[in-house]
Amino acid sequence: MDELLAILNDLNPDIDYETEDRLIDNKCYDSFKIITLISEISDTFDVELGPEHLIPENFNSAKAMWDMIRRIQEGEE
Amino acid sequence: MSILSIPFLLFAAGLMIVYFALPNRFQWWVLLAFSLGFYALGGLANVPFILATSLSVWGAALYIQRNTNAQKAYIKANKDLSKEEKAAYKDRCKARRKLVMLLCLLLNVGILCAMKYVHFLLAQADSIARLFGGSVSDTVSWIIPLGISFYTFQTVGYLLDVYWGKCEAQQNCLKVLLFTSFFPQITQGPISTYRDLSGELFRAHALDYHNFSWGAQRMIWGFFKKMAVANVLSPYVANVFANYYSYSGLTTFIGALCYSAQIYADFSGYMDIMCGLCQILGISLTENFERPYFSKSVAEYWRRWHMSLGTWFKNYVYYPMAMAKWNQRLGKTAKQKLGKAFGDYLPATVALVVTWLTTGLWHGASWGYIAWGGVNGIFIIFSMWMEQPFAKWKKRLHIRESAWLWRAFQVIRTFLLVTFIKVLPELGGLRNGLGLWKQIFTEHSLPGSLGELLPFVDGNRAGFFVMLIGILLMFAVSMIQRRQPVRGWLEQKTAYPVRLLLFAILVLLIFHIGVPASGGGGGFIYAQF
Repeated sequence: MDELLAILNDLNPDIDYETEDRLIDNKCYDSFKIITLISEISDTFDVELGPEHLIPENFNSAKAMWDMIRRIQEGEE
Repeated sequence: MSILSIPFLLFAAGLMIVYFALPNRFQWWVLLAFSLGFYALGGLANVPFILATSLSVWGAALYIQRNTNAQKAYIKANKDLSKEEKAAYKDRCKARRKLVMLLCLLLNVGILCAMKYVHFLLAQADSIARLFGGSVSDTVSWIIPLGISFYTFQTVGYLLDVYWGKCEAQQNCLKVLLFTSFFPQITQGPISTYRDLSGELFRAHALDYHNFSWGAQRMIWGFFKKMAVANVLSPYVANVFANYYSYSGLTTFIGALCYSAQIYADFSGYMDIMCGLCQILGISLTENFERPYFSKSVAEYWRRWHMSLGTWFKNYVYYPMAMAKWNQRLGKTAKQKLGKAFGDYLPATVALVVTWLTTGLWHGASWGYIAWGGVNGIFIIFSMWMEQPFAKWKKRLHIRESAWLWRAFQVIRTFLLVTFIKVLPELGGLRNGLGLWKQIFTEHSLPGSLGELLPFVDGNRAGFFVMLIGILLMFAVSMIQRRQPVRGWLEQKTAYPVRLLLFAILVLLIFHIGVPASGGGGGFIYAQF
């Protein structure tokens, strides 16, 4: 989780990722930042993300992203 | 059937009566019958194409859904499978789904390309053949099916959403047919997602006074924008564009500005008419505009103009392209060899180039539209790469993002940029579009009279003044919309008789100015796309 928070803080340090749970709905990231985020997550956690993962529920909070990463790592997705 | 005609108003009235007279469970059947009737009135020859698209997408989506469900059930029933066995089974299932999705995609995008681009491709083949002393003759006489660009994109979006597991496939093929052919959006969009539109189409709707009142007001406003603004400007703009070389740079520039006003009044007017009609039926249609001429950058403009098309390209072209394995590998290599920033920007840049060239091609089969897409893409890519240097310069120059003067500068700059880009493909060839740019910047003579400056005023003074008032009203409406919906504002600020009088005046102007300006119906600009 710490590695994920480091990636998110690098992307936008002005957001409180402990409490923010509407990152996508509140348009905190533009499409370029989303691509950068996906690229960083793929590299750091060795997971393959595709368009099927691009739903707000997976990216609205740091916890949702972490849960998604764990599900992919465990082969559930 | 022209939207600007008495038969259409009778069609809409007939729909409302039948829609609310029958029990709620029949409402979507009524919409389907009227949608197919509307489509058939546009030409019976079009019907097989839309049926082929609907049925093929329905079948493919259903197969994908059943395959996904079967996969989940198998995994659940065989809990003792190893991780590798599960992965191998999933891969086999996914390969089948992918094959069906690709075949369906190929069929429908193939139909779209064949119908829309055959003349363009043959013309290019002829140009190449002539270099070698040969020729390719274009004897194809296909008619492009009504709304094919819109309904193909909408159904492709549905197919991919089911493939990616973002929505459940619809079992009933007639419901998919209604989603494809829903008449308010068949000719000019919006391009809705299945999740959004199905929720509206298949639920029960009761007749509601608020919806009726607000829907009717929006329809009147839409007819006014289209008939008393866009259609009054249309002959003037067409004249300036056809003869730009004989007008002064200033007159040509005003012609280009008028085209921006015309296309906005035209397209958003259509959207107002159809969103208003849908609101009366209790259906909330996806919005396509959010005060686009108040955007502060070209990228923002494209998030606020024809929003459903922008969202479609973002979801189904830009993201898949930017996330593709080969593109991510390209970014990784660039990051190692050329630095982090370069590696971050490269996949997005490649995806943006593809997205904007295909957006250009979607709008029309010509080099003018490809150039138009390319120029939009260049501005967006340039601002993305320059975001950090710009931020540093602004800091150094003590420019505050929130300062109204800076924001006004950004809005005017963006409006002028998009105006210049817009005219590029509209003069029947890229050479003429560039010629108009040249005329604006190089022909400095001043017009000697108002008639020379605005060549259409003398022939239609009343139309000119109403059109001018219309543009000012559109501006005022946009200003009010920044804070709240205009109809809500009107309800708060004015008494019922005042509102009644206001809309009566609009109707009067539609008949007095808009009807003569609309001639035999006055087609919509976006219907040609």
